[in-house]
Formats: sequence, structure tokens, C-alpha cells
Amino acid sequence: MNEITSARSSLVETLLSLLRKYAIFFILVGLILLFSILSPYFLTWTNLTNIFVQQSYVVIAAVGLAFVMISGGMDLSIGYQISLVGVTTAALVKWYGVPLPLAILCGLLLGICLGLFNGYASVRLKVHPLIITLGTMTVFQGISYIVSKQSVILNLPPAFKYLGQGYVFGVIPFSVILMVVTVLAAGFILNYTYFGRYVYSMGGNEEAARLAGINTTRIKLAVFAICGFFVAVAALVLFGRAGSAASSTGPGTEFTAITAAFLGGISFKGGEGKIWGLVFGVFILGVLSNGMQLIGMGTYAQYIIRGLVLLLAVGFDEYQKKRLLKLKQK
Amino acid sequence: MSKEILSLQNITKAYPGVTALDDVSVSFRKGEVHALLGENGAGKSTLIKIISGAEKPDSGTISIRGAEYSELSPHFARELGIEVIYQEFNLVDTLSAAENIFLGERRGRLVNQREMEQAASLTFDQFGVVIDPSALVRNLPSSLQQIVEIAKAITKNAGILIMDEPTAPLTMSEVDTLFQIIRTAKSQGVTIIYISHRLEEIFQISDRVTVMRDGKCIESLLTAETNRDQLISLMVGRTLNEVFPERPQCSDEVVLELKNVTGNGDTDISLQLHRGEILGLAGLVGAGRSELAKMLYGAVPLDSGSILINGQETRIHSPADALAHGVGLIPENRKEEGCLLNMSVSWNIVINVLKKISRWLVVDRKEEAGISTTYSERLNIKTPSLLQRLRNLSGGNQQKVVIAKTLAANTQILLFDEPTRGIDVGARQEIYQLMSKLVGEGHSILMISSDMEELLGMSDRIIVLSEGRVSGELEKNEFSQERVLELASSSEARQEVAL
Repeated sequence: MNEITSARSSLVETLLSLLRKYAIFFILVGLILLFSILSPYFLTWTNLTNIFVQQSYVVIAAVGLAFVMISGGMDLSIGYQISLVGVTTAALVKWYGVPLPLAILCGLLLGICLGLFNGYASVRLKVHPLIITLGTMTVFQGISYIVSKQSVILNLPPAFKYLGQGYVFGVIPFSVILMVVTVLAAGFILNYTYFGRYVYSMGGNEEAARLAGINTTRIKLAVFAICGFFVAVAALVLFGRAGSAASSTGPGTEFTAITAAFLGGISFKGGEGKIWGLVFGVFILGVLSNGMQLIGMGTYAQYIIRGLVLLLAVGFDEYQKKRLLKLKQK
Repeated sequence: MSKEILSLQNITKAYPGVTALDDVSVSFRKGEVHALLGENGAGKSTLIKIISGAEKPDSGTISIRGAEYSELSPHFARELGIEVIYQEFNLVDTLSAAENIFLGERRGRLVNQREMEQAASLTFDQFGVVIDPSALVRNLPSSLQQIVEIAKAITKNAGILIMDEPTAPLTMSEVDTLFQIIRTAKSQGVTIIYISHRLEEIFQISDRVTVMRDGKCIESLLTAETNRDQLISLMVGRTLNEVFPERPQCSDEVVLELKNVTGNGDTDISLQLHRGEILGLAGLVGAGRSELAKMLYGAVPLDSGSILINGQETRIHSPADALAHGVGLIPENRKEEGCLLNMSVSWNIVINVLKKISRWLVVDRKEEAGISTTYSERLNIKTPSLLQRLRNLSGGNQQKVVIAKTLAANTQILLFDEPTRGIDVGARQEIYQLMSKLVGEGHSILMISSDMEELLGMSDRIIVLSEGRVSGELEKNEFSQERVLELASSSEARQEVAL
């Protein structure tokens, strides 16, 4: 009798999870159709490439954030990490004459260090990363403005700009290639390696993971380091695309990334969610803002829509869980 | 005494795919303690939900004090004086004991703090317990929280009090206090419907017992006229000749030795565990048993003393160290510490050995499937698929998964902390068989248990802890419940003051 019920509920669960997967897909397709009808400029090669290029850095940063979120943490500081890594790299190149490859390396290392700092503070102070990064976010902001001397570093070298603006073979944007590589690498790590399983396990139940012999401290540091690394890559892409560096570039990315993660099924509590869901989440937001701009919607109206999308996503998630729970009780 | 206060006639309740209650008729008398007994899934919880109005029956009638109803709502059930105390308490942690008791009452008036606290102490006095009514509930131990919960129900003039596994979080002496309270309530004419897996309690406290199986009420008996063998056979539908399997004697080889281990609330603990032995670790909750297990497992550091494994002094700094030395823990709180509930069965089984079955970081899925199949067959884990989420399995099967993952790590010394807590009788038997099989294969088990029958039935030897120290050791021929209790409470004076 028990087996029948659990088989049933697993069937229901599969159906629901399929519906959930398709839901995010349908939303994206629906939005694309909607904007194609509303604006003649939407479904053009240029515009679609544009969306991809615009969203590539968001995807890369969100992938980093996903590691932290799946492990049960949160990182609010990624926006200012982008800002700090970006201006530091630019300053090294433009003001201190450091060769670009070395400057990029420094930028990536800095990103890893910022992440490690978040992780270390959270482990050491035994405080949830949400609170820690709320603090470090301001710290990074301060450092970023000091490094940039509150100025805009203009005319980044062409090789730097290539990261955000370049095309491989003249057709494929370099940033999109970086994005695809990032997504594939993250998907591989999370789904196929034991490290990935540790990350999910820790998000699912940290104490059980610890008692299973997993060094949870090390995993926590690792996910933050990985997050910092990807965020640094995102910073290079974003600043490369901008062509100039200012401390005000980057902040805000954290909210887009978090919203995308929720949309994609990465739960606040950790332990679940897939990278491809996150990618869909980013593109839903990307298509939405691009489309809204094309049809001439005001900036503030756009804010309202984006906020509502987040609420809908979270509400849908909770609704599903409750339904699932109800079905299981029966 | 024999006046019927609540009776259910021909109640049927079906969920898609399952008939949870099948033509159930049972009646409860005023002022009796009526035990409901049955394995998990027998229909006890559905019955409670129908009585408390949380679920509506498909057919049948409910009569309360002579009036007939076809269904109740939670609100209406309360008005009729039906209160349920669930395993998870419904208390507001951040409010005081008194505030919790009177929560939701005295609407429209200012709350008179002093009056409320006086009324609360009066109730506590009736129960013969000392609780500071102004103490925050979150600062009370779970035994006292439960008393607050009961007080809350009684002050609402509950005529029918349903208690679902009330002793699960309690220690032995706290159980006595609880029983005292139940007797007080009973003498005031309250009907108590008492659900428990522990047979010995049912004999101690209940007047009548109703056995349920597969959604049916099998029989209602006077407790005084039945015995445990009859109840078990009614419950499982077959006769169990012996509850605890016989085992050959264990060897003299010492596999684990503790010398003056101190830390995590324990002081100066020395003991030896032999190959093939089940060493019972008895004591009250808070005596430092789980704390000792956590230290042995490296989850909490040792302050001083030494641990010898197979005669070798061993430093265990982390659970990973413990596993590497062949020490495994089956923790007390299965759901919080043992299971990754949202992950699959096979994910859970291989979690301890993931690194070993990975090549270049990549988990070998074939090996994963091999290991999890082997162990799920060996432990007879009932699951539709190894990819099923652990959450969807029964408590007994979840426990088997926890044991499987511990064994998969090739452990020789197993620390079982409350091996059968919250597990129904049938699955319990399986766990006992399994533990016997394991020691037969040369594993050694340190078993922490608050279940007296289990402790006396399964152990080869018992060590009793009291307030973080060893207070005695009993060989098999000295085993008796009285002896264990005596040693466990050897310095209990202080605890009684706390109560």
C-alpha cells in the first residue's frame, strides 16, 4: 500500500516538476512571441544578438552566485565585486602600465580573494552569508571608489574591449562564447563531480553533510571562491563592453542574478535548482527588459514589471510546494 | 466510568489509491486513558484527524456526548472540547509559558499579566511540577514544553485530549511526571486518547487499548486483560515468538577503548567495546550519551583522554577521520542529521564514499548504482526506485538508508543513537535483525537507547551514564529495568529540583 502511494506521489512529482520545467520555457517563448507581435524590431538578428551580448555577463555572474545559493548561502555583494574587480583591472592597465594579461590575472585573483573573504567571514563569524555580504557589499563599494578615485577610466585598450565587444570569426560574440563555456563548466561541476554533490548536499542539510564526513567549511570557502572567480570574469566582460571603467558599473547585478536564480528554480534554502534553469531565468529578464524598451515603456514601469515577475516566480514556487505537500499527505 | 463520551460508527475515509480507514467503529469513555496502537500506516493519524476535524470522513457518524455529526471542523471540534497534542508542539517559542497557555483567549480585554501567571502556576501546581510561568518557552526543556502544551489544552476545558507519541522526546523520569499528569487529568474526568509505539507505556498508563491494522480497528481490549504478545500479534497480524533475536557470545577482542574521555559535557569516561558486541549505553536524556557518540565520531572535539581503535591510539578530528578509521554514526535525529531528504536514495547511500567512487572528480555512476543496489538489497530497503527522494520513504526505510550509507563506508564500529526512534513495530524488528546480523559479521555496536525493552533485549552489556559520568556497568545476568533506572538516576536529586 505504501509503495503504491509513494509511486503515485513520485509520478505526480515528476509531472509537476516537468510542468515546472516547461513553465519557465513557456514563459520565455511566450515573451518572445509577445514582443515579436508588439515590436517589429524585436525578432531581428541584431536585436537577438544584442540580448545575448547584454545578458552574457549576467549569466556568468549568476552562475557564480548559483554555486553559493545551491550550497545554502547567498551573496549580495556580487554587484560591487564586479565594480571593484573592473576598476582595479582597468586602473592597473591604464594608470600603472601593467600588461593586460597580467592585469586580467590580477582581476581574476582579486575576485577569488573577495569571494574567499566572504566565505571566511561567514565561517569564522558563524553568521549567514546574507548578512555577511550585506556588510562586505558596502566595504567593496568603498574600496572600489577609492581605487577609481571616483573617476571614470576612459579608453580601455582594444584587447580589453574585445572581451565584451569582440566577435570570433566575425559572427559569434566572444562574450557569448565565454558565457557558454561558463554554463557548460558549471553544469559539469555541479552535476557530475563529487564536489557538485557536496554543494547540493550541503544546501540540502548542512549538518547531515558534515556528519557524512564532508568538510563543510572547505566547501563553503570553495563555493565563494568559485563565485568570486565567475563574478570577476563577468566584470571583465561588462567593463570590456563598456570600454571605460567606473565604480558605478556593476551594482544592481546582484538583484538581477538573484531574481533569475529564483525564476530558474534555485531555492533560497539551497540544495536544489539547475544551471540551465538559471540561464532561462536570466533570459526571461533580459527579453523582458529589452522588449519593454523596444515598445517604449518607461523605466519606472519596467521596474514594476520586473518586481512583479519575481513575486510571481516565488509565489508559483511556493504554490507548487504546497500542492506537492498536500498530495503527499493523501 | 463507562459513560461513552465519543464514539465513531462505521467511519470510512479513502484517499486516492488508499483506504485509510475502512468501516471503523470505536468508542471512548469518559475519564479513561484509551491507547491507540498500530504500525505506521495503520490509520491512527487519520482517525485523529477525523476526531479533531482536520479531515472529513467519507461516510459514518461521529457522536459526541450523544449528539451525532457526520463531520467536524477544527474549530467546532475545539468548541466540543477536543484538543490534540502533536509531536511537534504548537507553542510560540518567544512567549512565556503563561502567555502560551492563554494564547488566543481573553479577547477584547487587556491581558492581565499577573493574573495569567497565577492561573498558570495553579495548573502547574495541580500537575505537581514547578515551572516558572514567566519563563520563555524556548528556554524550557522539551519535557516542560510538553507540560505547557498539556496545561494549555486542559485550561481550555478539554474533555477529550489526544496525545500523539507524547513520550518520544522525554527521558525516563520525565515520562513518570507525564504519567502523573495524565492520571491527574483522568481523575478530573478528561478522556485521553493516547498514541504510542512503546508497548510498556501502554501497560503502564492505559485502561483500554484499541489495536488498528490496515485502516481497520482490529479489537478493543481492557489493558488489564491482555499482554504484549497478544497486542503485537494483533498489530502485525501474526505471532512473534521472540522480539529480540538470540545471538552467540561476542569475542574478547577489544576493538574500541576509551580512556578518561572528557569533553562535550562528559567527564572521565572509560569503556571497552568488544568485537561482535552490542554495548548498550543507558541514561537519561542529557546524561551525555549522544554527546559521547558525537565525540567518538569526531563531530565535536575531545578535551582530554584518549580513544584506542584496535589497540592503537587514534586521533579523530572530524567525521571524515572517524569514517576513515571505521567508525560510523547512525544519529539520533534521523531527519536533521542523518538524511538528505530531498536527495535520492542512492545519493544518500553513497554520500560517505563519493570521493572513493570518483575518478578525476567525476562520480562513477555505475559504481554508485552498484553500491546502492547492493546495500538496498542487503538491508531490504523498500523503495520504488533508488532514484526516489528519501523524503518519500517511511521512517523505517529512511533509517535503513542511513545504516546503508554508514556501512557503505566500510565501518566496523557502529554508534547507533536511538536506532528505532519513531519507527513502527514491524520495521523495528527488521532493524533488530539487522543489528544482530551485523555483529554476527564482526561489526561492533555501541547502542544508545532510551527504550528499556530495546536496551535490555539487544545489549550484551550495558553501561549507564549519569550527568556525564559512568555510573555503572551491568553484565547480561544483572540486567533489570530497576537496576538501569537506579544507576541512571543515581545523582538525580538535582534534576528533580529542576522539574
